[in-house]
Amino acid sequence: MALASIWTVEFRLLSVHPCSPSSTTRTTRIHRFRITNGIPREVLTRTQQLKQHCITSVSQFHHQLVTSIPMPQFLVNRNIGSNLPIWVCVAVVVLVASLRRVFSRKKERPGSVADLVRRGQLRSDRRGISRDLKYEDPFDNPLVKVSKSKSSVEMCGKVYRLAPVTLTQEEQTVHQRRRSRAYQWKRPTVFLKEGDSVPPDVDPDTIRWIPANHPFVTTSTDIGEDFAHKNVNQKHGVPFRIQAEHEALQKKLEALQNEEELNKVVINPTNAKELERPFNSHAKSNDHAEKSSLNNQMKDPPFSKLENGPNHFESEPSSGEDQKS
Amino acid sequence: MLSLHHHLPGTTNANLQILPTTHLRHSTSIHPKPYLPPLTPKALLQWNRKPQLAGETPRVVVVTSGKGGVGKTTTTANIGLSLARLGFSVVAIDADVGLRNLDLLLGLENRVNYTVVEVLNGECRLDQALVRDKRWSNFELLCISKPRSKLPIGFGGKALTWLVEALKARGDVTGGNRNGSTGSRSPDFILIDCPAGIDAGFITAITPANEAVLITTPDITALRDADRVTGLLECDGIRDIKMIVNRVRTDMIKGEDMMSVLDVQEMLGLPLLGAIPEDSEVIRSTNRGYPLVLNKPPTLAGLAFEQAAWRLVEQDSMQAVMVEEEPKRGFFSFFGG
Repeated sequence: MALASIWTVEFRLLSVHPCSPSSTTRTTRIHRFRITNGIPREVLTRTQQLKQHCITSVSQFHHQLVTSIPMPQFLVNRNIGSNLPIWVCVAVVVLVASLRRVFSRKKERPGSVADLVRRGQLRSDRRGISRDLKYEDPFDNPLVKVSKSKSSVEMCGKVYRLAPVTLTQEEQTVHQRRRSRAYQWKRPTVFLKEGDSVPPDVDPDTIRWIPANHPFVTTSTDIGEDFAHKNVNQKHGVPFRIQAEHEALQKKLEALQNEEELNKVVINPTNAKELERPFNSHAKSNDHAEKSSLNNQMKDPPFSKLENGPNHFESEPSSGEDQKS
Repeated sequence: MLSLHHHLPGTTNANLQILPTTHLRHSTSIHPKPYLPPLTPKALLQWNRKPQLAGETPRVVVVTSGKGGVGKTTTTANIGLSLARLGFSVVAIDADVGLRNLDLLLGLENRVNYTVVEVLNGECRLDQALVRDKRWSNFELLCISKPRSKLPIGFGGKALTWLVEALKARGDVTGGNRNGSTGSRSPDFILIDCPAGIDAGFITAITPANEAVLITTPDITALRDADRVTGLLECDGIRDIKMIVNRVRTDMIKGEDMMSVLDVQEMLGLPLLGAIPEDSEVIRSTNRGYPLVLNKPPTLAGLAFEQAAWRLVEQDSMQAVMVEEEPKRGFFSFFGG
């Protein structure tokens, strides 16, 4: 099919030359002018006839070719007025498709606010772009319509037949009795690991045996029940474990500081500088201050806290006093 | 799928009227858990209305099934967000100790830093372990443990009860307006996503619950497990049990290749909270971390979840179910189109 269409196009292109009268007359005139210089008239007229014959045969062939191929009506009929609605429709379709593509690109733009809201990174209600939920009845809205006879419901464009629920309270009671007979169960209250001994005064039915290698449950815990209850009810402040760890570290640090050996050691401030935390806000000022303080160390023994930094052991007593106060 | 009595309360559908499940509570006196006085739902048809919250808050609902893969976590996520959209404060607890997935379904997996285990150990406070959804700020997620950590089961059930009490007392102490946010009030609903099976995780998850939503699919394996779990829940004192039949295919029901919702109800004898049709959009929403009920336009399953959430709020149950798809009555219906 593709080849055939190509062939027809080529034929049409070829057929343009004989159809255009101006171009053919020009070429024939040029030929006449040239030929008449040295050839007799009879020969000229014969060749002229032959040419004319060729042209007419080619034009006839082209005409037959064109008429043999069925063409669409709107292409054959060149009357613009009658085809105008078709072209308008085509143009509208193309325009709508292009506009839709442009708008859909705008909507799907990654990283936009709408995209962030959609992904849950931003709260929509704070930006004023959310649509408040209208508390429409979910049982009667444009997507859910019940027929007047209440025998069918239309949901999302599909119509379903409705059947009434016939379960009665007596039937429910019968089922409950059946289950109460079938399933005798007591909630386990004691959880024991395999190998543990059963404590006295415990109903064996309320014991749940947990395997030692249970994937997500353990019977042993490092925290007591009272502590756990207290932790759940804590509403403000530092959590218990964090506070305990902090206090333990604090004690350890104080113990280290109170050791006599450490108190005797006087660390060179240049080495202490390496141990200091890099405080970004005061890094430059500290460096500058330390240099000046080193220069003035012999002259001006009392240092300010900020200049010495937190790891300066020589200023230990003053910092300790501040923590206590 | 629909509560027909919503539309015209005065109609003569006597066979459609059924007592709410809340009446069952008074029929039994042997159960240890205290029951709340039922409120009559006033579900009159009107536009722009909110469902009337029945029962005492916080309503502690465990979503369980027994069998795995029937849609417990999907139901928890969708009903939880539906409730949040309706304006109720919701805390969803992922009590699936070994295989938690609720954070994935909600798209909050990157925001879970602390869990209940860290709260119990004193490594963080409870409010630090609650992950607030940014889409609906009155929805919070609480995971019970990290995948590789172990829950101390010795007081696992008690721990969940403490959590519920702490959440309930949250509104009293912080007042809700302390930080200018309304999300720190006592929750209206606490949804507990229960793990599959009847192991230690199940026992832990059902401990603080007052009511249960049983998820099942219309196949015999899920039904057997659902019946067993219902029996255990009833033995434990939870009497308010409603079921959701998930992954319903009306075309298979029509061809009698699948049990209908009414068949399932006949076998289990439980009131229906919802019937969720099979929907391929569920998988897409799961993969996106964007629950189905947030889809615009809503899908068939999303609408069914919203209806189920509505019934949960009003302690209502289904009065009629969708059975099969009716043939279209169009111009070409004569030709079978």
